[in-house]
Amino acid sequence: MVAVDYLLAGMISVLTGLDRVALVQIMISRPLVAGPLTGWALGNPLVGLEIGMLLELLWLGRLPVGAAIPPDDTQVAVGATVLAAGTGHFVGLDGMPLVLLSVLIAIPLGKFGQVFDKLARQVNDRLAVSGYNALMSGHTAKMERCHLLGLVSFGLASLATALVIVLVGTFVLFTFAPVLIGAIQEAGLSLQYSLILVGAAVLLGTTNVNRGISLFCTAFIGTLLVLWLR
Amino acid sequence: MKIMHRPKLNWLTFLRMYLRSFLLQSSWNFEKLQNLGFYFMILPGLRDIYGEEVPEDVRERHIDYFNTHPYFATLVAGTTLRLEAGSRVGEEPSVDAETYKSMVMAPFAAMGDALFWGGVRPLAALIGLLIASQGSLWAPVVFLLIFNLPHLFFRGSGLMLGYVQELHAIETVQKCRFPDLAIRLKESTTILIGVLCAYLSFKGCEHQELPAVWGFVILPIVLLFAWLAHKGVSSLFLVVLTTSSLLLLALLF
Repeated sequence: MVAVDYLLAGMISVLTGLDRVALVQIMISRPLVAGPLTGWALGNPLVGLEIGMLLELLWLGRLPVGAAIPPDDTQVAVGATVLAAGTGHFVGLDGMPLVLLSVLIAIPLGKFGQVFDKLARQVNDRLAVSGYNALMSGHTAKMERCHLLGLVSFGLASLATALVIVLVGTFVLFTFAPVLIGAIQEAGLSLQYSLILVGAAVLLGTTNVNRGISLFCTAFIGTLLVLWLR
Repeated sequence: MKIMHRPKLNWLTFLRMYLRSFLLQSSWNFEKLQNLGFYFMILPGLRDIYGEEVPEDVRERHIDYFNTHPYFATLVAGTTLRLEAGSRVGEEPSVDAETYKSMVMAPFAAMGDALFWGGVRPLAALIGLLIASQGSLWAPVVFLLIFNLPHLFFRGSGLMLGYVQELHAIETVQKCRFPDLAIRLKESTTILIGVLCAYLSFKGCEHQELPAVWGFVILPIVLLFAWLAHKGVSSLFLVVLTTSSLLLLALLF
């Protein structure tokens, strides 16, 4: 992976990070989109898609409501894709084991995203005061500038999260890959499916629907019977 | 100074407000949440109504605390501007713009959260995941289309609806029964979760060369994890638990 690739990944990190709250919100920030997008920039969209699949459901039920800040699954997807598509081959890994290892390393590091996001919002507190004062003293253009400067703090928070995930993740990958890779290769596909199933279970547990369990069980049993008997 | 005719907003102003609505949360802050964003969004409309120099009292009432669902904000903005245009010609509606905003922002926020974050987004994600499980790169495209067609339409039509129908827009929103729609979407999502889990269980059995009937073992495990998540156990803990159990099993056998 060359410097241009890292630069592209950085740009995608900022763009998708802004989409979480600050800009547009067309959901390019979802792991299912951010993963393949980063993978595409690094020349391997399928790796990004696999990472997006593993991460998509994990925090989907955590709503970005009011002051609540969910873990940064966007940067986890971007960071894990950079690790899997760019750094992994330096430790002699590839394929699904590398994808799984990258995701497992990146997931806990996503907590940093909450810290940086909170910092960005605290910076915005000051911008909001400046914007208010500017508007009340008749400087509308300055108020608009203060508002748009908020994009910078959110963008930097996203970039910082991705950087932490990639840098710490690379260190962890180099240190622990030789120890863990054997077990991960053994667990392989079971681990891949299990992580998606954990996400599905979390989403099921956080979706408050009457008759939810009945609907889920009926759909599960019906689908499995059809697949089994066909 | 009052004028004789209610000032009209032209299509270019609506377009500018629509585009500015995508920047509503750019300066989201803990103190007043979307306050700068809301003023930034309605500024072209206020300029059409009051001219370049928006009066101080108008500035003051629209730069205050504001928080609603970002996709419902255009609806609030449309009605707010219509009320402002009315007050410019001396109309005295039953509710002024400031009261209207404080009255609707919380219910609209709850409605939007349930409909878009709790309904449309998980459903679109599940459909995307089912496509992605076939290894197709169309998955993110389909996800984005399913989510954004209603989203972008809602933002635009909300702005127009709010402006044209003024306070009656609230009745129109009530008639749309969004909370019921959100429940139907959540039910559909729950069914798709069942389909996805069954499909993955089946594929897992195929891979392990086990009879498909073993797939039913997954059902109670998923239900247990769902119960744990419902009780507040974090996703991270469940991932660690699953991974360490599977790695241990892989090492032992």
